[in-house]
Amino acid sequence: MTKLNLDIIGGPLLVLAGLALPFAGADYLMGIAFNLAMWIALTQSWSILSAMTGYVSLGHVVFCGIGSYVFILTNGTLPMPVALACAGLAAGVMALVIGLPVLRVRGPYFVILTFGLAELAKNVIVQIETSLGQFSRLIFDAPALDTLYFIMFGLAVASTAAAVLVRHSKLGRGLVAIRENEEAAEAIGVPVTRLKLIAFVVAAIIPGIVGGVLLLRTSYFEAAQAFDPVISFSIVTMAIVGGMGTVRGPILGSLAFVLLSELLWARFPQLYMIILGALLILFILFMPRGLSGLFERREARR
Amino acid sequence: MTILDVQGISKSFGGLKALTNVSFSVEEGAIFGLMGANGAGKTTLFAVIAGQIKPSGGSVSFRNRTITGKRPDQICRLGISRTFQIVRPFAGISVLDNVIVSALYGAAASNSHAEAREAGIAALEAVGLAGSADKLAGELTLSGQKRLEIARALATGAEMLLLDEVMAGLTPTEVEEMIATLSELRRARNLTFMLVEHVMGALMALSDRILALDHGVPIAIGTPAEIAANPDVLKVYFG
Repeated sequence: MTKLNLDIIGGPLLVLAGLALPFAGADYLMGIAFNLAMWIALTQSWSILSAMTGYVSLGHVVFCGIGSYVFILTNGTLPMPVALACAGLAAGVMALVIGLPVLRVRGPYFVILTFGLAELAKNVIVQIETSLGQFSRLIFDAPALDTLYFIMFGLAVASTAAAVLVRHSKLGRGLVAIRENEEAAEAIGVPVTRLKLIAFVVAAIIPGIVGGVLLLRTSYFEAAQAFDPVISFSIVTMAIVGGMGTVRGPILGSLAFVLLSELLWARFPQLYMIILGALLILFILFMPRGLSGLFERREARR
Repeated sequence: MTILDVQGISKSFGGLKALTNVSFSVEEGAIFGLMGANGAGKTTLFAVIAGQIKPSGGSVSFRNRTITGKRPDQICRLGISRTFQIVRPFAGISVLDNVIVSALYGAAASNSHAEAREAGIAALEAVGLAGSADKLAGELTLSGQKRLEIARALATGAEMLLLDEVMAGLTPTEVEEMIATLSELRRARNLTFMLVEHVMGALMALSDRILALDHGVPIAIGTPAEIAANPDVLKVYFG
């Protein structure tokens, strides 16, 4: 009951705070909020596949990258909202195409394969761009930051809503059974291949759109940056730090990271990967349920 | 009426013949036992029927419908559900959630969470696990996890259960309880069972008919009394 209360009160409060933020009038604050919304959207979508099924993807950035690329190719020719939809659609289609072969392997093989695929996609796009003589593409007519913020905020809410819906649906129960024991799940009638594929596609669409919006913010496309594996590492770390067991986890993890990065990494960027690694180890060893585990313990004590 | 018909099933793993030309049929409502030493092919036969292993030859039909070549989840939805010799609980979720997944996806697949919950609770009650519904499945004792295997198979709404050594590792008292549970299930739900069991007393007491396998070859089929008196069976078991 307490848990429900916390979510019922906390959820709308967060949404209201998010909506009110641009009216505070500080671009600096909005920039931070934009990043926060982006990480929530990405980590929440990642959790739909990886936290639910246990298929830990280390290549989630590939969907952002594809989304960015499709967006930069279509924006201008098509109206911006349509181009963003194309970005999401392209990421979804890509997940559908690579999902069947990729989701056949489990455990460490899946981790390595997703990482490798993302790198492969990056290099392919880099080569295409190089052969076209394009080293970076610019966007000149990007909307103002508050518009972009609202779009990203909407994506964070949509991603969170999707995660909540999946968790409480028949699909979600099937995915958890797959995570706990795939063969046993199949033996009780769970169509494992189909469910994994659905989760993979659902998890891919939002990052695709995020990729497009991110481009509008940075205002240029450069393949190596759009497919930067550090984005994938960050997503996994945020999910683990926040806690994989609940929908709150990705929100708490993203919040912790964005705050840390403002306090620390903005001044010492060379420390980023070191701190990422250290946090990952500390949390896995000492707080496997992540920051949201702290809430659960408090709730359980009451 | 025949519910399961197995015709000429063979399975080789490389040079090893795990099953050679196995044929038998199971009557609706019967308890059909499988016996044989370790490596006789009992579990392989289960895996062939349940769809986890594709046979090299032969066919299996359930209610006059060929099921060979179908996926395990499809076969489950047609009404056959198996348990695993080495238990495979969904350890990180509650006992009740374990069976709810079965009820949502099995043969009696329901899209209603309330219905699935009801079917799940009924399955837990049938195996005597209702008191542990809120425990994590991983916290159950081995005996509890064996019962959960059965409950999960039951909750799918299956008409036929393949139980793979559900009594192995249990104490004599627990075996007695398990025999009572299975007899009650058969009576109350009109289910058909196939049992693989090393606990001979239990197999003899429960089964209507028994198939004996030796290195994948069927050596005898008949009532428990016929099997116990069969010279080939005695030779394999006692030399």
